[in-house]
Amino acid sequence: MALTEMLSLRKNVAITDAEFKQLRDFIYSKSGIWVDDKRKYLFENRFASRLSALGLRTFGDYIKLLTLDPKRDQELRHVFELVTTNETSFFRDTKQLDGVKANILVPLLAAQRKQNQLELRIWCAGCSSGEEPYTLSIMLHEILGAELSRWRILITAIDLSPAMVAKCKEGVYLDYAFKTTPEAIKAKYFTKTPAGHRILPSVARLVRFEAMNLNDAAALKRIPKSHLVFCRNVIIYFDDAMKINVINAFYDNILPGGHLVLGHSESMHRISRVFQPKVLSGSMAYQKA
Amino acid sequence: MPSIPITALQPGMVAAQDVATPEGRVLLRREGVVEPWHIQLFAGLNIAAVEVAEAGDHTRRLEEAAAYVLEFFAFVNPDSRPMIELYTYVAELVATRLEKGWQLPSLAERLAENVEHLADVFPMEIVEPRRIVAHESELASFPDTYRKLREEIDSPRASVQSLSALVSQDISLSAKLLKLVNSPLYGYPEPVESIERAISLVGTKELSTLALGVTAIDYFQGIPPELVDMRAFWRHSIFCGILAKILAQSLGEEQVERFFIAGLLHDVGRLILFKKMPYASTEALLYARTNSVPIVEAERTTFEFTHTDVSTHLLDQWKFPEHLSNLINFHHDPLAAPAPKLAAIIHAADVFANAVQIAGGSLYLLPPFNDEAWNLLQFPKDMVRRIMAEFEIQGEQIVQAIFN
Repeated sequence: MALTEMLSLRKNVAITDAEFKQLRDFIYSKSGIWVDDKRKYLFENRFASRLSALGLRTFGDYIKLLTLDPKRDQELRHVFELVTTNETSFFRDTKQLDGVKANILVPLLAAQRKQNQLELRIWCAGCSSGEEPYTLSIMLHEILGAELSRWRILITAIDLSPAMVAKCKEGVYLDYAFKTTPEAIKAKYFTKTPAGHRILPSVARLVRFEAMNLNDAAALKRIPKSHLVFCRNVIIYFDDAMKINVINAFYDNILPGGHLVLGHSESMHRISRVFQPKVLSGSMAYQKA
Repeated sequence: MPSIPITALQPGMVAAQDVATPEGRVLLRREGVVEPWHIQLFAGLNIAAVEVAEAGDHTRRLEEAAAYVLEFFAFVNPDSRPMIELYTYVAELVATRLEKGWQLPSLAERLAENVEHLADVFPMEIVEPRRIVAHESELASFPDTYRKLREEIDSPRASVQSLSALVSQDISLSAKLLKLVNSPLYGYPEPVESIERAISLVGTKELSTLALGVTAIDYFQGIPPELVDMRAFWRHSIFCGILAKILAQSLGEEQVERFFIAGLLHDVGRLILFKKMPYASTEALLYARTNSVPIVEAERTTFEFTHTDVSTHLLDQWKFPEHLSNLINFHHDPLAAPAPKLAAIIHAADVFANAVQIAGGSLYLLPPFNDEAWNLLQFPKDMVRRIMAEFEIQGEQIVQAIFN
C-alpha cells in the first residue's frame, strides 16, 4: 500500500513569530503562565479550534479579539482552558501526604487544641478539578473523627479556570480520579451515582471554591490567613519572576510557623529563600519562621 | 456492497462487479471508476442499477489514522518536508495495523499506572545529573569485560585468536554478539558460527563497539516494570539503532556499527533517571502526557535538566570512546555537537523510531525535529520514505535477534 500523495501536517493557519510573541505575552500578563518558544507549533495547533469556532482567519484577528473586543473576558476563559492542564487524583503523592500528616497536620492540630483554638485554615492554590482540597478534607476527617464537629475548619480552594471550579463544586468523579486512592477511603467518603462517585456533603462542607488568578495580587489578599498552603504542580507553569511573586503571596498569607507544600517536582531553593526548607520523609515542606 | 440506482450514480464511485449489458457486453470492469460518460451510457442502455464498492474502508481508516497520528506531531514544524513524509508514512502504517484489527490505545491505557510506592533517591531540591551518576557509580561499576577487550585491542600482541579467546570467556556476551552478526544488521549469506569468524568478518574495532553496546544493555536490570515497559524501551532503542545505521550507510559512512550502538544507547540517561528518581520520572511522564509535550521537554520542566545531561556524566564515568558519547549526548541538540552531521544521524533516527512506535501504541509526542540538522545530511526529497522502507525489511528481525 503506497499512497502517492502526501498528507498535510498543517491543518490550520500558521501563527507568525510576532503573533506568537503577542499571544504568549498576553497569556503571561493575564495568568503568569509562561509558554516557551518550543511550544509554538503546539500552540498554533491548540488554538486553531478557537479560531475556526470564532470564524477568524488569522491569529492577529484572535489577538485583537482578546485585547479589544467587549466580550473578551468570555474568550479569556477558553484561553485558560487551553493553557492549563489538569492531571490529578485523590491522594496523589501518598508519601508526601503521609509526611504532611505526621509532621505538619497532627502536631498543628495538637498545638491548636492546647491553646483551645479549635480552628484551622488551609489554602489550596491551583485546585484543578478538586481532588486535592477534598483529599485534605478527608485526611482531616480521618485524623479528627468525631471531634471534627467541634472544629472550625476552612479549606479555600482556588483555580484559574471557572470551568474547573464548577467541576469542583459538582464533586462527582470517575474511576480515574481514584487511581492513587485506597479502596476503603473511596467507599467511606463517596457515594456511587450513575454519573460517577459523589463526594459526601460532610467532606465538601469544609471546602470553599473560588475562581481566582494567582496573578491577581489584590484578590489573593482576600484569602483568609492560613496555617497551611498547598500549591502542587502549579508553579511549574510559571517563569521565575511569577514564581517569586506567588511564593511571596504565600508568605504573606501564611501564619507564623505555618507551612507551604509544593508539588513533587517543584523546588524553591533556586528562586527564593524566604521559607525554611524542611525535609519530611520522602518529600519537602517550607516553613515560615 | 450497495446497489446504486442509475439516477443516484456519481462519478468517482467504484464498480464492485463488472457492469454489462444483458447480452454480456462489459461496459465497465470491476474496480473501474465511474466516469460521467459511463452514467450517460448506462442510462442509454437501460441499466437500472450498478453495484459499487463501499466508500473505501481503507480511506476511512486512513482518515482515522491520520487524525490520531497528527497529535503526535504537535511539536514539529508542520511545514517541514521530512516530517510531512514521516507523517504520511506513519498514518499509513497505523491504517494498515487498524485493518489487521489493531485498536487505537484506549483512554485507560493512555493514563498512568499507580506508582505511589516508588521513592526517589534524592529530593528534587538537590538533584542534579552529576550527583545521580555518582550515586550509581558507587553502587555498581561498568562490567569489566569491555575494559579488558579495549586493552587487548590496544595491545601490540592482539590477534583475532587472542580477542576471540577473551570474548568467549563471557558466554552471554558471545551468544549475543553471534546473534547480532547473524542478524540482518550484517546480512552475511552464510551463518557465522564462531566468535573467531565473527571478528575476522566484522573487524576488531567494530566488534569491540558491538561488545560495548551489548555490555551496556546487560548492565541495566531491575527498573520497576510498572514505571516503564523495558521491552518497549529497548525496542525503541533498537529501532533507533537500526535507523541510524541505515542513515549512516546511505551517507557512505564507515564503521556503521557505531551508529547502531549509539542509537541503541541514546536513552541510557533516561534509564539512570528511572533507576534513581522513579517517582519524579513518573511525574515527568505524566506531565508529558497531560500537557502534550515530548518527554525530553517534560524532563526539562520537571527536572530542569534532561536525560542527555545524565548520559554525559555517565558515559564519561564509564570511559566510553568520545566519538560514541558525542553521538549519544547530542541527539536532541545535534547542532551543538563537535560533529553536527554525525549527531544529526542519531537525532533523525530517534525521531523516526518514535514515529514508528506510534503504530505500536506509544503514548508520547515526537521530540522536536531539527530541520537545519537534517539539511546537513543533504538527502534527496523522498529519503524518509526510502529509509522507512528499508527499515521495514530489517527492523523486526533484528529485534528478534537481540531479544530471543
